[in-house]
Amino acid sequence: MSIWTRTRRNIVLATASTAIFASSALSAGVQAPKDDALKVMQLPIRTDGPKSLDPVVGSTTYDNMACAQFYETLLTNKYASPMEMEPLLLSEMPITQDGGTTWHFKLKPEVYFQDNACFPDGKGRLITSDDVFYSIKRLADEKYKLKNWWLLDHTILGFNEYKDIQNAADQFDYDAPVEGFRKINNTEFEIVLEKPVYRFLYILSMFQTSVVSHEAVEFYGENFARNPVGTGPFILDTWVPKQSMTADRNPNYHAVFYPERSEWSKVDKRNRLHRAAGKQVPFVDRIEFTMFAEDQPMWLEFSKGKLGFSQVPEDYFTEAFDLASKELTEEYLRKGIRYHSNMLLDFTFRGFNMEDEILGGYTPDKIALRRAISYAIDLDEINKTFYNGRQIVYDGPIPPGLEGHPENHRADAAARGPNLSKAKKLLAEAGYPNGEGLPPIRFLTSQSAINNAVGEMVKRQLAEVNIKFEPVYLDFSTLIENINKKKAPMFGFAWASDYPDAENNLALFYGPNESPGSNHYNYKRPEYDALYEKILTMGPSDERTAIYEQMRDMVLDDCAYVGGMARERFYLINPWLRNCKPTERYYGWFKYLDVDDDARN
Amino acid sequence: MWTYIVRRTLYNIPVFLAIIFLMMAALRVSDPVSAQLSKNPSPEEIKLKKIEFGLDKPFVVQYGIFMRQLVFLDFSERSWDQEFTVKEMITKSIPPSMAVTIPTLAITASIAICVGLISAFYRGRAPDKILMFIAVIGMSISVLVYIMIGQYWGAYLPSNVFKDWPFQISVDASAGSSPWFFFIPSNWVAYCMLPVIINVTVALGYDTRFYRAVMVEESQKDYIRTARAKGASVKRVMFVHMLKNAMIPIITRIMISLPFIITGSILIEVYFGIPGMGRTLIKAINAKDFPVIQTFTALFAALFIASNILTDVLYALADPRVRLS
Repeated sequence: MSIWTRTRRNIVLATASTAIFASSALSAGVQAPKDDALKVMQLPIRTDGPKSLDPVVGSTTYDNMACAQFYETLLTNKYASPMEMEPLLLSEMPITQDGGTTWHFKLKPEVYFQDNACFPDGKGRLITSDDVFYSIKRLADEKYKLKNWWLLDHTILGFNEYKDIQNAADQFDYDAPVEGFRKINNTEFEIVLEKPVYRFLYILSMFQTSVVSHEAVEFYGENFARNPVGTGPFILDTWVPKQSMTADRNPNYHAVFYPERSEWSKVDKRNRLHRAAGKQVPFVDRIEFTMFAEDQPMWLEFSKGKLGFSQVPEDYFTEAFDLASKELTEEYLRKGIRYHSNMLLDFTFRGFNMEDEILGGYTPDKIALRRAISYAIDLDEINKTFYNGRQIVYDGPIPPGLEGHPENHRADAAARGPNLSKAKKLLAEAGYPNGEGLPPIRFLTSQSAINNAVGEMVKRQLAEVNIKFEPVYLDFSTLIENINKKKAPMFGFAWASDYPDAENNLALFYGPNESPGSNHYNYKRPEYDALYEKILTMGPSDERTAIYEQMRDMVLDDCAYVGGMARERFYLINPWLRNCKPTERYYGWFKYLDVDDDARN
Repeated sequence: MWTYIVRRTLYNIPVFLAIIFLMMAALRVSDPVSAQLSKNPSPEEIKLKKIEFGLDKPFVVQYGIFMRQLVFLDFSERSWDQEFTVKEMITKSIPPSMAVTIPTLAITASIAICVGLISAFYRGRAPDKILMFIAVIGMSISVLVYIMIGQYWGAYLPSNVFKDWPFQISVDASAGSSPWFFFIPSNWVAYCMLPVIINVTVALGYDTRFYRAVMVEESQKDYIRTARAKGASVKRVMFVHMLKNAMIPIITRIMISLPFIITGSILIEVYFGIPGMGRTLIKAINAKDFPVIQTFTALFAALFIASNILTDVLYALADPRVRLS
């Protein structure tokens, strides 16, 4: 090959590579460097993030987390005390004068939708009573597959009829009236319920009932779910599925202020959470979420100081905390990192299918069999071995912190193990003395390293009373499929409460909610169902708490499941992130966060 | 040659149709609707989902609809799991995967061929034994171990010591939404180089052993002895005579790997946050997102068939004794 040929080839190669890099750089739209004065906050989302940014089709925690930055609800949780509610798009809490059937709402003035191309001249307009009705009506539209219809089914007067008529018609008419929606003027309205339903106010704080504008829904059509236009504190910039999401501050955000000093507890004040009291939010100009499907990169990015906070993954707990005291290690304290822990409204359990030929049924022998299994399982051993003893083992389906939860987490009606002698006795009463004649119990649960290990431990525990246990590990969707089709004799599952009221958990055993509904046990007791229907209309009272306890004990007597357990979630917070008190009750609290760039390094 | 290509393509159409048929049938063994329901689904919601997904139609009709989409290259169907079209998901996922897989393939093949040659030359002696020992060690360790160690020792720890350390732990939100972000050299070094090093380390063991076996077989042939007898240098014998004659298995090995450049590496992408096809695919499989799985499988099958045909063409170009007929 001549020198010229070789040189010419090299020139061609060099030119080609330069062109490729240049064009790729151009197509990548190399971003202009961000203004250093801007406050940018980097936060993690554990897992692959949201699936949809349309409130009415969202259902996961991560849909909630994302939607809450762009949309707002009429009511919300209080940042300083998340179990309590406060108005968000309302100027005051809704009022009722007839015991909870008719609710009067007054919208907060000067709340605008975010500026967007869907509005004339791109300027967001004021929200009105019609927007609230429109947003709620979307839940009834079959176009959105009624994914969250269950929240308002048989709740608002005339709403079920409206849903049936509109979905049967050629076109869904959002202007058609609903008997229970009464507009007074653009900022005041009433909602009339079929009967008083206490959870109604909680529903109005759930992200699925966020207020959206019909202009945006019509303008973006099928793509509305990735073009959120709400009244929230942030405006979506980019969303790369499973990867990242960025949002900029909404310059027209209505007047929302950081909680007053008096609202914070002593512990919160010690953590200086009160220092921004009374200031208008949001504080940061930009929020950048990165999704982490695996824990290691999230943990390392947090340790490097790049992320504002991080949940503490199970495998890293002992790296950050002293196991005995549950306090941060010296190393972390030196770095200025602090922690915050939350008790989740969690109910993890191993359920029985009450329609199963062997394990199901309500006769004394069937109940004895389930109770024998429950007595043979040692949940404390599971807790100590796999969760560093950080979960709370409790009796009944009502998680800690809610009315109806038993004192010291123990209820007399529970078949709490380990009690092998009782288990053997009950096994004999069930017709399987020493486990003889009892076929192996198929237990379906989702595939994960921890579930596999727990499954093996339960197998060993049950073997001590000669019960054969066959764990089957499935991907989550196959597990759900089996449970929905009532094919799982026993199954491992969990329920996170939608709102802080035991009614939400007690609904898991309400007969009409049987699979594919949330009553995966297919538990059916007419007296239980009657009590459930009664509590729906009751506000907090001693009488209601007594009924909660009665229902809890019914389920425990029948032993519809083995459990439960609740998780305590630990968060670490880097010193540059201010005002951070993580909660999983709601996700509208990111607007209260601030960054101190001087403290980053 | 063109006649041959056209004929082979036509022969492969029934194979392609059968692959799609079997894949669609296998997917429908389980019910995908359950994965997409709310916390408290009603029979009404399940029915609506089935209609939305087209699962209420007979299987043959579903097959026909999908084949029609393929023929017209219409990938506008929406993913069942994400609010994006299949086209968007695939076109945005393949480039980031290729930013890792193409350099991995090129570097691995180049190094492995050279190491294979050296090893074959020193067959049975210390350099051969050492190289093969390293290769076996390399391939015996799980890729997950390399990733975890690589991420910690290759990105996290040095970045605490050296302020301008080039390797990042994982891709963050500043990467934006362009799939070509990783093709900018500085970004490639920051986010892809470490994954490529890990991938090469893992793949090297397998490839080196394969190429060594090929070279050893080639080195025992008569023409090598003749070349040496005629006074050709070791370098010339190895890199000209031996390498040229070993091209058939080398082409086979490389071409068989070629379709995999679009699949990406699941673990690498998940850990390093690269929004590639491996991550998209595993997520789609877990969520039973049929439109994404089906389209990707069809694309992969087409690529595989094309690479097989191309392999035959390359055989003819590399070896004059091979005739395409």
